[in-house]
Order: sequence, then C-alpha cells, then structure tokens
Amino acid sequence: MSLKKRISSLKLPHLKGTSDLHSVAIEPPPEVVLPMNMHSGKPAVPVVAAGDHVLIGQLIAEEGGGNSSPVHATISGTVESADEKAIVIKSDGKMQRDQTIKPPEITDLDSFLSAVRKSGIVGLGGAAFPLWAKLDAVRRGPIKTVLVNGAECEPYITSDNRTLIENSQNVVEGIALLKKYLGSEEFIIGIEKNKPEAIAKMEELFAGDSSVTVKPLDSVYPQGAKQVLLYNATGKVVGEGQRLASLGVIIINVTSLAKMAQFVADGMPLVEKCVTLEGSAVKEPKNLIVPIGTRISYMIEQAGGLSEEPGKIIRGGPMMGKTVDSIDTPVIKATNAVLVMGKKEAEAFEPTPCIHCGRCVAVCPLGLNPTAFSKAMEIEDEDKRLDALNAAKVQLCMECGCCSYVCPAHRPLAETNSKARRFARKANAARKEAGKNV
Amino acid sequence: MYKLTVSAAPHIHSGASSKRIMLDVILALIPAAAASVYLFGIRAALIIFVCIASCVISEALFNLITHRKQTISDLSAVLTGLLLGLNLSTNVQLLQCVVGSVFAIVVVKCLFGGLGKNFANPAISGRVFMLLAFTSVAGGAMPVVSELVSSATPLEAIHSGAELPTLLQMFLGVRGGSLGETCIAALLLGYIYLVARKVIKWYVPAIFVGSVFLCSLIAEGSFTAALYEIMAGGLFLGAIFMATDYVTTPITNSGKALFALGCGLITFIIRYFCAYPEGVSFSILAMNILTPVLERLTTKKPLGGS
Repeated sequence: MSLKKRISSLKLPHLKGTSDLHSVAIEPPPEVVLPMNMHSGKPAVPVVAAGDHVLIGQLIAEEGGGNSSPVHATISGTVESADEKAIVIKSDGKMQRDQTIKPPEITDLDSFLSAVRKSGIVGLGGAAFPLWAKLDAVRRGPIKTVLVNGAECEPYITSDNRTLIENSQNVVEGIALLKKYLGSEEFIIGIEKNKPEAIAKMEELFAGDSSVTVKPLDSVYPQGAKQVLLYNATGKVVGEGQRLASLGVIIINVTSLAKMAQFVADGMPLVEKCVTLEGSAVKEPKNLIVPIGTRISYMIEQAGGLSEEPGKIIRGGPMMGKTVDSIDTPVIKATNAVLVMGKKEAEAFEPTPCIHCGRCVAVCPLGLNPTAFSKAMEIEDEDKRLDALNAAKVQLCMECGCCSYVCPAHRPLAETNSKARRFARKANAARKEAGKNV
Repeated sequence: MYKLTVSAAPHIHSGASSKRIMLDVILALIPAAAASVYLFGIRAALIIFVCIASCVISEALFNLITHRKQTISDLSAVLTGLLLGLNLSTNVQLLQCVVGSVFAIVVVKCLFGGLGKNFANPAISGRVFMLLAFTSVAGGAMPVVSELVSSATPLEAIHSGAELPTLLQMFLGVRGGSLGETCIAALLLGYIYLVARKVIKWYVPAIFVGSVFLCSLIAEGSFTAALYEIMAGGLFLGAIFMATDYVTTPITNSGKALFALGCGLITFIIRYFCAYPEGVSFSILAMNILTPVLERLTTKKPLGGS
C-alpha cells in the first residue's frame, strides 16, 4: 500500500458571514425570466405561448431531448413572451399554486426516476447536470455509494449550509429514497469543518444509521470538486474519460438531494431556491429564498439595496462563478449565490510574463501543469497543439481556478485552460471522425 | 444602468505579484550588499551601482530600440545588476562591469524574449562571460573574479595547503573573494527572509550546500575541512540566490530538488577534479541547460491520469 497522496489545495478566506443567517423569502417579484438553458445539455422547449395564464409549478417548457430538464412557472401570471431563449412571466400578484399538483406515485425504480425527471431538478452545486440523468446511471450498473456534497468550499456561499440546517429532514428523506430505489448501501455526507452546526445536525440525525457517515472535511478549496471530494471521502480516483458511476459512486449536491425529497413529498417541482446574496457592494448580506427567474436587481432591492455602485456581479462563487453583464439578469436553477462586488474589486490586472515560479503546478489539486496548456495553446499547427494538450491531460482540468489565483504574473491560466479544453474536445472529436472515414 | 465588468473566473486573487517577488529577493540581498561595502570598502558600492545602472539602462535602451513595452519597472534588471555586482571582486574594472551587465541583460535575457524566456541565469552568465573574456584577453594577469585573485582565496588555500582564515572569519566574511559571497551570516539572513516570504523552497539551497558538504566530508574525511569547503567560494550566494531563480530552474518541486543536487555534485567535481578552483557558477549554468529534462523527468502523473 503506497502512502496516501495529499491533494494540493488553497486556504482561501472563507468570508461566510451569512452562515448563521436563517433564509428569508423575498416578496414575490413582478416578473420572472426563465432561460431555456438553465441546465447543462439540450435546452428546454416552451409549451406555453404569450398571453397564456400560468400557475406556480405548471410545466411551461419540456425536455429538449438528450440530457435536458423541464422548466416550470415560478410565479402565477401571464406569459409575456416565450421563445427558444427564455420565457418571461408577468406576475398577477396572487402567487397561486397549480392545484392539480400532487405527490408523484412511486412504487419502484422506474416510477422514481420518471418522477425525478419531471421535477426539473438539476445539480444545484453549480454544474446544473439534470438530476434524473445522474440517477439514471443505476440502469447501467449498481450505485453502491452516494456522496452527498455539502462541502461548499467557495468563499461567501452559505446556501448549502442553510439547507443542511433548515431542511435537514429533507436530507434524511432524500437518503432514504436513494437507499430504497437505487439500492445504494453507503452514504457519505461530506461537509467542511467551517460548518459545525450543519455537521452536528447531520451527526445527530444519522446517529443510529450505520449506512450513513458524516465526514467533516478540511475547509480548503476546492474540497467540493468531484475528483477532490471523491478522493478525500473514499480514496477512489476517477480516471480520464471514465464515468464516476462506473466506480459505483455518484455525487449529489445536498440541496439537490433535499429538493428531490421535497418534490417526492409534495409534487412541487423546482421553482424556488435559497441564494446567498453577498459581496462588498451589498448593504445587508442575506440568505434569500427566491423564485427562480427573479431578476438580480429586484432581489437586491428586496434585501436592502447596495452600499456602492456595483462593478462586477457574479452568479456563483468568486472562484468558479460567472459574471453577468446586467444587473437585471435572472437567478437561475443552479445559482447558489449572487455576489455583487464594488468597483475596486472589479479592476482587472494586466498580465505580465510567466516567470516559471511553479506556484500553479504546486497548487493544482490534480497535479497538472497549467503552463503546459498555455504553451500548447501557442502552437500554430492545430494537430501538434492537440497532441501537446492531450499529453498534458487537459481534459482532467476542472477549471477550479487555483492556478490563476496564485499566479504572481496575473496570467489568466484558468481561462486559457478552459479555452484549451474546448479546443481539445472539438479537435479530438474531429480526429476520431476522420479516423472512422479513413 | 450600471456598467459591469465581465471577466473569466476566478474573481479573486492571492495578491502575489512578480514585482513583489523581485523586490523580496532584492531586500534579501541587502545584508550581503551592506556586508560587502563594510568588508571591501566604498569601491564595492561603486561596482554594485555600476552593474545595476548598466543593467537597467541596457534593458531600457533595448526596449526602446526594438519598440517593446518598457519593462524595467518589473525590477528584474535591478536584481540582475545587484547579483552580478555581488559576484565580482573589487579588482574588476568599471568598464568591464558595464560590458558584463550588457551581456547579461541584452544577450542572455532580452534576445531570448525578455523576462521568463531566458534559459540561463543572466547574472551568472554575465559573470562567467567576464571570467572567460577578460582573463583570456589579459592572460590571467587581470583577475576579475575572486577565485582567480592571486592572493589566495580560501578555496585555493584549502587545496594548496596555505594558511586559512578561522572558521568564524569565514562565517563573517573576513576573507578574499567576490563582494557578496564572503559573509555567510548576511547571506543566511537573506535565506531566512526568502523562505519566510515563501519566495524560495527551503530545500533548494539546503540540498545544494548539503551535497557539497557531504561530498567534501567523504573526500577530506574531516568535518572542519568540509565546513571550510562550503563556506568558501560562492556556494551560499549561488545556492540561495541563483539556484533558486524561477525562470532558469525546473517548475516542479521535485525538479527543483534534483536541480540543487546536480548543482552540488557538479560544484564538487569541478572543485576537486578540474582546473578551476570554483565550480558554483558553472554548475548552475550546466543545470540551467538540463532544466527542461529535469522538468520532463519530474512531471507527476496527474490524479485520474493514465
């Protein structure tokens, strides 16, 4: 048995000042914008048209084929527009629920999976992969182990922490459902040690259950990343191009799991979620329950406004979240936080030449060399570029951003990695295709 | 409506900067520079000043002539000049300092594409260039760097059996040699600072010096002789400030360690078996060339990689 390798990580400032703030529901928004691509995979297809009246929970867009997910109305009102991009609903101010919604009838695996499929739930940790498609892996082989991801390793975000504390019963029921229908035997709830209340709550609830382990994890970034969590919780490693499920393991975000249990109990699809509103420009950071599709501007207004002019708004955490170009952009399914930064934090640094210091190599959790990707991307010949990227294992990169964070030359390493991955994925597919034709 | 910045993740940064790293290394060299002025007099300050000025001016001119972005504010040229100056003895002529500086900056760094692109350490290359150019021109009569000074340096004394300074004198730098190499105490202060600031890996100088010590101990069979051996020549200066240069050493941590080991072994071999009494500069230059190989050898298998 070789010595266990320690995964490199970053000690980031936690900035989780909202940890202990109970989530509060905002006043219903006057309108919601529901994009058709809130999940990874094929976009959903609208089944309503402008002028239709809709109720909360009503199906307004169905799966678009492949790995897709339906979309439901999150407020009651009139559909203002519906196209392949998004559906906009104007509120009627009543917030009426669709009365025909009732708990799904579940008797076996098939009925369980088709129910989950109708829930519209996607990976709420940020990946937004349709939950049904993840669970569907059980048809190809047993899922022995379920890792419940409550690491929440990015700074600022505390919405998963609130789920663990406020909806702990749903976590219990979610695990019971997976045990019953997926036949999973082992459950590991991974939670970073900076969430002692959540850890205590889970330990208390699962005290008598030998199939469930609550695993306190070091509060380091990126503890919640797939490969890192898998390794730190089970010692297993998923290989390049290999599916996690082929190891008999799946990883489910804790909020996704709780939402699933809630759906099974009352039949209400994913229409609202807890979002941490934080950042230097936010007057009163809060955990808010918001209807999906709520515009960020309305959410900020509800929370007490801004303390300064915003310079940058991020959906998600500061390490992997994506910036939006307008304050009126909506909260989508996988939005776990909205960070509003002031002008100063929005300032960009000018990159300087790489000085070969090796900090990116030393920090990479997967042991990759980010400078190798950057160098490969400078190769003119596309064939040689692809070979160099494949040799450097670019597809393993999970774009956690650690390399960019530590780079003293402020080089956009993670951004380049992302471009390199996109290029390599396309070029490898083209190469495979060409190989077939020969 | 607000104008928002749209940019790629991550949106926060550690705050580290290349300039700050350069500044840290410069600060770490201050004790050694101060000691050199104390030990060798005001001429030491003059040599260091001429080297720094020549390096900065030649880089500025190069950028100007080739229409490149001005880079002297990154402090890298200042550092090269300072290091080069500390690697020369008081016997050097000021014009030679200028020539060495221009060679280090223009030929070794700028022509290769500037900061980060050079494969050899500019300061060491400049020193070795001066060592070869000016001794060959002057047939050895015009000693430029310490180890060729005719009044025996400790290294020569060790090997010829001449009278040596005491160990304490060696530690404090009261002996012949290059400006910045003699005061071990001052160099160690810089070492501690750089390790504390996480600019260098502690083990790189330790392995370099340690391997020379061990080899010498085996060869000499005497603890005292081995101590003299490591404190003589430019070993501490090279090990702390040049074998740790980012640009010209491997990017991987294990590669850095191997680099240091290679430097130590080559230094020992040159000192014991070759014509030159000193081998630190040559060993680092030789290992600079091997850097890509060491990097390839020490690239880890990534987690999940086949």
